[in-house]
Amino acid sequence: MKFARWSLIFVYTLLASLPLLWMALTSFKSREDAISQHARFVPTAQASEDGLRNTFVPTLAPYVALGSVHSGAQHSFWSYLGSSVVIGALSTLASVLLGTSCAYGFSRFRIAGAKDWLFFVLSTRFMPPLAVVVPVLMMYRQLSLTGTHAGLILLYTVFNLSLAVWLMKGFLDEIPRAFEEAALIDGYSRLAAFRTIILPQARTGMAVTAVFCLISAWNEYGFAMTLNSSGAITVPAYFAGLQGNIDGMPWPQVAAGCLLFVAPIVAFTVAVRRHLLRGMTFGTIKQ
Amino acid sequence: MGSSERGLKFAFVAPALTLLVLFNVFPLLFNVALSFTNAELVGSQSDFVGPANYARIFADPRFAEAIRRTASFVALAVGIELVLGYALALSIRREFRGKALVLTTLLIPMMLSPAVIGLFWNLILNGNYGILNQSLEYLGVPQPQWLTDRDWKFTSVLLIDVWMWTPFMMLISLAALNSIPQSLYEAAEVDRASAGIVFRRITLPLCAPLLGLAVLLRATDALKQFDLVMATTGPNDASTETLSTLLYQIVFRDGKLALGSAFACLVLVLVIAVATAFTRYLEALERRPA
Repeated sequence: MKFARWSLIFVYTLLASLPLLWMALTSFKSREDAISQHARFVPTAQASEDGLRNTFVPTLAPYVALGSVHSGAQHSFWSYLGSSVVIGALSTLASVLLGTSCAYGFSRFRIAGAKDWLFFVLSTRFMPPLAVVVPVLMMYRQLSLTGTHAGLILLYTVFNLSLAVWLMKGFLDEIPRAFEEAALIDGYSRLAAFRTIILPQARTGMAVTAVFCLISAWNEYGFAMTLNSSGAITVPAYFAGLQGNIDGMPWPQVAAGCLLFVAPIVAFTVAVRRHLLRGMTFGTIKQ
Repeated sequence: MGSSERGLKFAFVAPALTLLVLFNVFPLLFNVALSFTNAELVGSQSDFVGPANYARIFADPRFAEAIRRTASFVALAVGIELVLGYALALSIRREFRGKALVLTTLLIPMMLSPAVIGLFWNLILNGNYGILNQSLEYLGVPQPQWLTDRDWKFTSVLLIDVWMWTPFMMLISLAALNSIPQSLYEAAEVDRASAGIVFRRITLPLCAPLLGLAVLLRATDALKQFDLVMATTGPNDASTETLSTLLYQIVFRDGKLALGSAFACLVLVLVIAVATAFTRYLEALERRPA
């Protein structure tokens, strides 16, 4: 029994991490090493004459190549990464601000039909992007928002509101009402109490919410691809566009780009590891 | 409550709710209106055609096929992830050195972008030089053509999904296991209950409510499956077409905007049904005595 437990943990940890390790190794290979029929996984300083060896000479060439424009794309990887950063950051900021304000309203005031509103907010998360993309596309064409940063920022802000409202409501509910009631008695206005009492207390909650909003905007693909048919602008849409010819894929560059793209997410995951449960369940499980 | 208090309350909640209504309710109504026309992606000509698009959907087996395939994807993915995730949680439950590190490592896949990671899986699963088939060859196991063999494509998408989302099931299972009071196990020990009885009478039933929540959350997500299919086989592939990729194919490849809208309306009915089940479940959970 004990043996079975440990082997399950060991084998699964291996399976969970191998694809990412393979990605890291591939990002330092030449294309020939990356698609060799004899897996090359041992980095060495000296090239081997024998093609059957499992060694490869690590190179930074794939990372350098990320700076050049790949055939079929309009810009280099860095430009798309920049778009991902701008869109992710601004939409996260907007979601957290709007979400916190809305969550505070639901947490502290008596609102008619509050429960129904909250469930409506949550249910927006269940919509498949592809099922609402046609009306959004028509609306965006009218407003000339297709293919723009502003269009995606707005969309991701709304897309993440459900997460932001639910997570923040959970965090705000945990702040004792007595704090702001005391402030109100001291003559603070509601708004001043919100700013000086609640916001500082809610900082952790807002940071955790921001991380989850950022990750979901960063990873989003359906809207990014369909609303920008003229020129993909975030990294997931850019990568998908490279896919036309699988055998001609520049695998080391793809691996290098993937690695740079997922590295911040891994860092953020480690940073919020104690809040993962909450974030992944919209705050419905708190521990 | 004074009128300024009422105004303030409105100012707090209105901006977010307005945006949500604008981006969710409006598209819903617009979809319904569009579904009775013959609008196309290119050109602005569109006429009222009545329920013709719906008639086409019910006559074309592609749609029923996509619904069936998505349903079996949801059932298989969620089922496998639940069993595997729960087994992992049971194994990893007790404290050991380096537990935090192992846990974080295990949880990383679920945080990554399916579109980007799915693309890289193409290299792993490649039939000629992929590392997976090379490993299988080393072990002396048959090596399927994961991405090109009709009978294996679906399994490949499932495999990547299981890799990404088993950690999620493990995470919630761990929370469920941790919420079981230790005193119950102590009582069982006094009664000399066998390990099997303890598992069937204490562990599993007490985990069930949270596992149900996990299943519903994961199911609503799997129902949307788009990114992994696009990253591996692409849309319009008879063995992996899901609801979302079929919608993409109709609207953006075939340019049949109105037909896509009609199908989207039907999909939304399905999604709303699942979402309602989810919220009901959540309400029932909240009412449950703690």
